[in-house]
Amino acid sequence: MTADVRPRAFGGATIVQTGPRRWLRSYRMMMRFDVRGLGQWLMIGIAVQVLMGAGMAVMYGFYLGGDVPDVVKVFIATGVPALGLIPMGLVMVPQMVGQQRIAQTYDFIWSLPVPRLAAAASTFTVFTLMAIPGFATALGVGVWYYGIALQVSWMVVPAVLLTSLMCSSVGFGMAHAVKSPMVINFIANMIVFFVLLFSPIIVPVAQFPDWLASVHKALPFYHMAQVIRDGLSNGFVTEVGTSYVVLGAWTVGGWLATAWVVGRRG
Amino acid sequence: MTASLAIETAPIPIRAGVGHWLSSYVMMTRWELTSLRMLLPLIVALQVVIGGGFALGIGLFFDQMPVRNALYLSTGVTVVTLITVGLVLGPQLVANHKTAGTYDFMWSLPVPRTTQAGAWVTVNSVIALPGMVAALLIADLRYDLPLRITLSIVPAVLLTIVAATMIGYAFAHAIRKPMITQLITTLVIFVILGFAPINFPPDNLPRWLADLNLYLPFYHMAVVMRDGLTEGLVTEVGISYLVLGVYTVASVVVAAWVIGRRD
Repeated sequence: MTADVRPRAFGGATIVQTGPRRWLRSYRMMMRFDVRGLGQWLMIGIAVQVLMGAGMAVMYGFYLGGDVPDVVKVFIATGVPALGLIPMGLVMVPQMVGQQRIAQTYDFIWSLPVPRLAAAASTFTVFTLMAIPGFATALGVGVWYYGIALQVSWMVVPAVLLTSLMCSSVGFGMAHAVKSPMVINFIANMIVFFVLLFSPIIVPVAQFPDWLASVHKALPFYHMAQVIRDGLSNGFVTEVGTSYVVLGAWTVGGWLATAWVVGRRG
Repeated sequence: MTASLAIETAPIPIRAGVGHWLSSYVMMTRWELTSLRMLLPLIVALQVVIGGGFALGIGLFFDQMPVRNALYLSTGVTVVTLITVGLVLGPQLVANHKTAGTYDFMWSLPVPRTTQAGAWVTVNSVIALPGMVAALLIADLRYDLPLRITLSIVPAVLLTIVAATMIGYAFAHAIRKPMITQLITTLVIFVILGFAPINFPPDNLPRWLADLNLYLPFYHMAVVMRDGLTEGLVTEVGISYLVLGVYTVASVVVAAWVIGRRD
C-alpha cells in the first residue's frame, strides 16, 4: 500500500506549485470565477445597492419631518452611505455561501486547485468593489436632497475600503462558521433590522441610552459610521483612531473565523 | 381498465352548497395552519419584534420625539404589522409553492377554490393581530400616548387585513414568475416603510409623492386605523374606507379570475 496514489499527469509526479506568483495568478483566476459565477446577480446586486442607498438617503428625512437642523442633515447624509455598505458584506456574502451549500457547490469550490486563501481574498475583493457604486449614489443623493456641503477628504478612501472589507470578512466568517443556510439567512436579516433601527449610524450616539451606546462601542457599526463621517465632514468625529482599530479587529476576527473553517478539511 | 370502468359506472357525487363550502373552509384553515405549524410561532414572534422594534427604534432618531410624531409612528406600526403578512409573506409562500412545484397540487385538492382564499385571510388575521396589539402596547408604554380607541377600530382592522391579504393574494397568483413576485414584495416593504405616509404624516413627503399615495392603498389603511385609535389626527375617513373597499373588491375579482381559470 505504499504505491503512489497521486494523479500521474505529465508522466510522473504532480507539480505542486507554490510561491507568490502562483498565489497572485490564483487570486486573479478566482476573481474571474467569482464575477462570472455571480453572473446576473452582480448587476442585480449593484442595482439593489444603488436603489437602496438612494432610497434610504431620502427615507430617513421623511421620518424626521420638515424642519431638520443642519447637523442632523449632515449626520443622515454621511450615515446613509455607511449604512449602504452593510448589506453587501453582511447579507449578500452569507447568502451566497448559503446558496452554495443548498446547491451543493460549496465543497466543489474548496476543491479547486488554488490556495484557499486566494479564493477567500477574491471574494473579499469582489464584494468590496461591488459596494462602491451604492455608496457613491447614497452620498450623492443625500448631498443633493438635503442641500448641504460636505468636506470630503482623502481619508474617505481607507474608511470605505476598510468598512467594506470588514463587512465582507465578518459575513464570510459567519457564513462559513454557521452550517445551516436557514440560520444564516435569519442572522443576516436580524443584523439588517438591528442596524437600520438601533445603530448610531445616522444619528449621534448621544441620543442612545447609555447601555446601548456601550454595546455599540464594541460592535463595528458605530465605528464604521465614525470613520466614514470623518472622511466626509469636519468637526463631527473625534477619536477616529480607536474606530479604525476596532474595525481592524473585527476584520481580522472575520479572517480568523474563515481561516479556521476553510483551513480544516471536512 | 377495470378501475376506470368502475368510475364511469358509478359517478362520484359532486358536492356543492353552503354546508360543503363551510366544511371545506374549516378544513382548508386547518390545512394552512398545519402547514405553517413550525413557522407559526416564529412568524408571530417576529411580528411582535418588528412592530415593537420599529416603535422603539425610530424613537432613537429623535433627540426628543414630539407627541404628534410618536402618535403617527405608533399607529403606523400597527398598520405595518397588519399588512406585512398579507402583502409580503403570503405572496412569498405562493412563489415558493410555484418554485417547488407544489402549486398545482394545492389546486387539485377537492375543495372549492374560494375556500382557500377564505382560509388564508383567516390565518393571516390569526398571525397579524397579536403583533398589532403588542406593537401598540410597546409604543404606548414607551411614549405614553394619548390614544382614544373607539369601536371603529374593528372595521378598520378587518378591512385593512382583508384588503392587504387580498391584494397580495391576487398578485401572487396572477404573476407566473416567482422571481417577479419576490421583487414586488421587496418593493412593497420598501414603500410601506419609507415612501408611504404610514409611520409619519403625509406632509413629511414631497407633494407629488403624497399625492401619489392617495391612489395607493397604504395611506388609506393608516387613515382608517388612526381613526379607530386616536382623536383628531385624521379627517375624511369615509374616502379612505371607500378606496380600501375598491381595492379589496378589485383584488377579489382578479383573484377569482385567476383561481377560477383552468390552464
